[in-house]
Amino acid sequence: MISAFIHKFSSPKSFVQITKTLFPFFIFAGLFLLIIGWIWGLLYAPPDAVQGNSYRIIFLHVPAVIFAELIYFFMAICALMHIVWRVKLAAYLIKSAAPIGAMITFIGLFSGSVWGIPTWGTWWQWDARITSTLILFIMYLGILTLHGSFSNLEKSDRLMSILVVIGVVNIPIIKKSVDWWSTLHQPASISVSGGSAIDPSMMYPLLISVIGLGFTLISLGILTSRSYILTREKNKKWVSEYV
Amino acid sequence: MFDLAFNNIDEVISMSGHGIYVWSVYIISSSMIIMSFVIAKKRLNGVKRKIKFKNAPS
Repeated sequence: MISAFIHKFSSPKSFVQITKTLFPFFIFAGLFLLIIGWIWGLLYAPPDAVQGNSYRIIFLHVPAVIFAELIYFFMAICALMHIVWRVKLAAYLIKSAAPIGAMITFIGLFSGSVWGIPTWGTWWQWDARITSTLILFIMYLGILTLHGSFSNLEKSDRLMSILVVIGVVNIPIIKKSVDWWSTLHQPASISVSGGSAIDPSMMYPLLISVIGLGFTLISLGILTSRSYILTREKNKKWVSEYV
Repeated sequence: MFDLAFNNIDEVISMSGHGIYVWSVYIISSSMIIMSFVIAKKRLNGVKRKIKFKNAPS
């Protein structure tokens, strides 16, 4: 029954049609919230008592690393769907999400490195959080390289899905690295279970930036997945009718 | 909560000496995101054009 449900709602044709309708909402809401969050954080939030104004990088760094991990988690769910139920759309979504994940992980590492210069006195430290995030970035590149290494695309999809599932073990390591090991990187400032080390005047723009970047990345994902799906399904009748 | 944290544009740019770090991160990262959108949109249009060309009656 689950299999029938998944196959019914996971046709590439339905996905392309539905996301075309949703794209304007995600792009406008995403950019609007991102601009509001960044203007609030950069110009209106008070300076930090210890870090001064350098902490304002948080409004880009934290949303970037959150989505670096969430995109990989999304890919892992898709990979399981592809391995277990052979859902083609799931493999297409992994291939479309991987470059976005690589880009946002790079932005997370880059912004963290620049932030480290005035606060830690170094742009790089081989501590658990930073190293596990670097491994995540290498995983994204590895997934893309593996998929491009085979002429048989079905085989590429399957091997890529297996690699994604293996690599998901890195996500809890990134999340818990600051608790398990003594690291230069600070522990999490916001907790889903409640309690925050951040003042509301800094936390609200941060939350708006997180939601804004999320919607922006979803709209980017819609664009990349639509072009990839059309490429893979170009010989299907529905594609000729769609374009 | 909604008071400007700076008195003038020079303070906004310099951010007490941290402006070079803060602004470089935002400018470079925003450029990367914008470029990704431009490339994705161009690629989608290119794919659509190719499929239309392939299906056009000769």
